[in-house]
Amino acid sequence: METDKKFKQEIVQQTGTEVLTCIQCGTCSASCPTSHLMKPSIRRLIKLVLEGKKEEALDSCTIWLCTSCRLCNVRCPRGIRPKALVDALKNLCEREGRETGKDQAYEEIFLRFIKDYGRVSELPLSGEYIFIHPEAAVGAMRVGLELIQKGKLTLMRDKIKRTEEVKKIITELEKA
Amino acid sequence: MRLAYYPGCVSKSSGREMDISTKAVCSALGITLEELEDWNCCGATHVSNELTAVGLAVRNISQTDLPIMTSCSICYSNLRSALQRMDDPNIKSRVNDILGKEHEGAKIRHALDVILEVLQKKNSDFLVVSLKDLKVAPYYGCLMTRPKGVDSPEFPTIMEKLIKILNATPMEFRLKTFCCGGPIFMPQQEVAEDLAFMILSEAKNTEAEIIVTLCPLCHFMLDAKQKTLEIKRGDNIGLPVLYITQLVGIALGLGPMELGLELNSVSPFDIVERIYERHTKG
Repeated sequence: METDKKFKQEIVQQTGTEVLTCIQCGTCSASCPTSHLMKPSIRRLIKLVLEGKKEEALDSCTIWLCTSCRLCNVRCPRGIRPKALVDALKNLCEREGRETGKDQAYEEIFLRFIKDYGRVSELPLSGEYIFIHPEAAVGAMRVGLELIQKGKLTLMRDKIKRTEEVKKIITELEKA
Repeated sequence: MRLAYYPGCVSKSSGREMDISTKAVCSALGITLEELEDWNCCGATHVSNELTAVGLAVRNISQTDLPIMTSCSICYSNLRSALQRMDDPNIKSRVNDILGKEHEGAKIRHALDVILEVLQKKNSDFLVVSLKDLKVAPYYGCLMTRPKGVDSPEFPTIMEKLIKILNATPMEFRLKTFCCGGPIFMPQQEVAEDLAFMILSEAKNTEAEIIVTLCPLCHFMLDAKQKTLEIKRGDNIGLPVLYITQLVGIALGLGPMELGLELNSVSPFDIVERIYERHTKG
């Protein structure tokens, strides 16, 4: 596998240079609530990044199984933030327009809601996602219907007044 | 006490009872809440660009000079993270440039710690219904205490302190900071449900009568999805899941409607009756 120095540099910069001191102890993997499903583990994912193995790192399911619980950040004996590394990799997938599937689709819709409305409205958001990935409807249906009956979920889209400020934050700060 | 209030997006929908009970409890405790002007989404766990996430949080923070209170652990964690990242001069200058103003570095507070502070000072004035003998499983989830800086990020006890002030009994709950899977429940349903079901089963094992949560996403996974999980797993849980503000509200003598108790999926009304009965019997 070819080494990609630019890739490594970029991810390290976004994660924080502490990641260069990783001793591969595996505390992050041992702490992760979904590590049993990850391939490679979060420990090995860090190694792939440090070795500049871009394709292997970006193609893994690992980054999409992160629940953002931050336990790896809390426990790392080197003060590394593995969660930030996961985010940096997700962000790279987005910027390169990679088709990585349903997980990324959800993140994209979420961000678009913030950009357009400044806030997220659960029913329209889930609706858009289910429209693209209908298989999610099965699980969401029962809960969704109950919450609609209770009047908790509506089709209303909540919107802030100065959406242009939020749009500016997203478009300007997204620039690498 | 005067505080800026950051409700978070979910307060308008699936977390309405969180918002309703937060306002009712604060009003009963003499805390004045001023809703943050034109607040925006914190990005929850779905903004992969860290600078953007910081920018979204700081736009909210820069709207006020008052300490900012929220009832949502995700919003709370994101606002706190953003302030920690703003210690980096590069991040600070880029974010401030885009926002066109300097943020004043407001203090960020969770409703849990605000309520605890007030009740620790003068609880006898406020508590009218004793929660004596009520067995509570305190569920913190992940983000209340992460990033570091609030209580212990792995073995917190702040919620137990509050539960004891209310005269209830916090149960020893092994999975109290184990992740509920909420952030990935839409694309990774099975994975998230496994995590939530483990937490529910363990809460049941503690013999608690209710679970208390600090986060609308945890609440969604444990309360709204509980019935579905019971059917799928063929196991009976039957545990009402209250927001901490709902539990405190009951002890303050607020009525069920004032606390949005009818909005919970697993009905808490049997428990509420039990609380009143125990209270009347002394």
